[in-house]
Amino acid sequence: MTLLECKNLTKLYGKHTALSDICLQIDGGHIIGLLGPNGSGKTTLIKLITGLLSPTSGTVYVKEEPIGPASKSMISYLPDHTYLNKNIRVQDIIDFFADFYEDFDSLRAYDMMAKLQINPRQKLKTLSKGTQEKVQLILVMSRHASLYILDEPLAGVDPAARDYILDTILSNYDENASILISTHLISDIENILDEVIFLQDGMLHTHALVDELREQDHKSIDTIFREVFKC
Amino acid sequence: MLKKLLKYEWKDTSRLLLPINLAIIVLTILGCSMLSTSIFDSEASIFFAVPLLILYILSILTFSSVTIIYIYVRFYKNLYTAEGYLMHTLPVTPMQLFHSKLIVGCSWFGLNSLLTTLSFMALGFAAGFHQASTNINVDTININLDPSASFADIFGYPLPTFLLWMLALLILSAFSSILMEYVSILLGQQMERNKLAASVAFYFGIYMVIQIITSVAMMVPEFITLSNTTDEEFTTNFLSETLRMAFPMMSIIYLAVGIAFYIICRVLMNRKVNLD
Repeated sequence: MTLLECKNLTKLYGKHTALSDICLQIDGGHIIGLLGPNGSGKTTLIKLITGLLSPTSGTVYVKEEPIGPASKSMISYLPDHTYLNKNIRVQDIIDFFADFYEDFDSLRAYDMMAKLQINPRQKLKTLSKGTQEKVQLILVMSRHASLYILDEPLAGVDPAARDYILDTILSNYDENASILISTHLISDIENILDEVIFLQDGMLHTHALVDELREQDHKSIDTIFREVFKC
Repeated sequence: MLKKLLKYEWKDTSRLLLPINLAIIVLTILGCSMLSTSIFDSEASIFFAVPLLILYILSILTFSSVTIIYIYVRFYKNLYTAEGYLMHTLPVTPMQLFHSKLIVGCSWFGLNSLLTTLSFMALGFAAGFHQASTNINVDTININLDPSASFADIFGYPLPTFLLWMLALLILSAFSSILMEYVSILLGQQMERNKLAASVAFYFGIYMVIQIITSVAMMVPEFITLSNTTDEEFTTNFLSETLRMAFPMMSIIYLAVGIAFYIICRVLMNRKVNLD
């Protein structure tokens, strides 16, 4: 069964076209890089899939379900900014996730918190920005979801933290699930990607297997990206 | 899922609104305790009685304003700022999100209004009781009422019915007031830019229209009463006749406005969200 299907997806903001006629299919068990320069429509596409934006035209299906409570229960989404109430304790946020997501694994969350020496009794606002981002990532990766959507998970963190984040992502997703990662830091994630999607000016430029692209051009994905989107 | 949303909505809003409502209770107990002593009996006490009264009224007004503003901000912040990224990606329907906010918002608003009303009544009774028990003769306000007039003669209804009407009005008022806040935010969200400013503008615009409608509607029972009352009957009948018509009329207005706002909110919530 196709995990994610976007059919003729278009999003307009007034006269500006953010996404134009995107057709995509993603199957389970893949790690997909969603790549493109600023303003190419990556975040818009992610918001349409997660139901935070409504398309001007076209449809999105997750395991044949239209966007709604059923599709949302299958998607674990990490936005590109902090989205948690900072006045509450980490353990309360874990309880919140456990209450709303049947696939949430509280033990896994507490285990990861302990490894990072994060005290669950602490309020989120007392943690550093980097630690807050790690808490969010732990919450998202503690779910047994079908589709993980991570919007810029590596932005603004130091190289050591990047390694931790990538390791957390790789060691915590189910084999049948897929991960869609949006990032500018291609070289950091290139080795873990199975597929790439290049977006350019709101249009689908390329959707291919990473190995095929490398063999075809004899270049790394990072180099191909730089050539395609050369200013 | 609605139960879970309600649980967290109660928990989050209690952090501020529970202490506020407890403060009203504490303030009322303090006020009643002071009024039942003889510290306000002398004429010189006016120099500290008046500032204390002003402080009490300002505190109560502040508590009410904070409650209204907090419920408004909470709805906006929790659904249409960064926190909205979490709330709108939960496996719940938009109407479940809306109903959780509506039920909790109405409950806090209703509780605040009830405690405020009871606080004023308690202070009034405490002052009256102290006056009666100490035989202080206060005749500065000369109300020309028949001493044999019952509560129903003065207020139009027997006491239990009167209190039931007050309670009904309080609930309906909470329902329409909270929905007015939510409808203004949802209308603001339909704008391409400056959504928050648009929400505030919608709120004041709708508030003014509702005030005009309510004021005009309230004049009707007063005019009818005035035209049917002789000078002799005026003092005894005016209030009771006005209230007898005003209570049902106010209830109908609050209910109609509330239902209209609810339908608009339902339509706007079911239009898919567009978070910036």
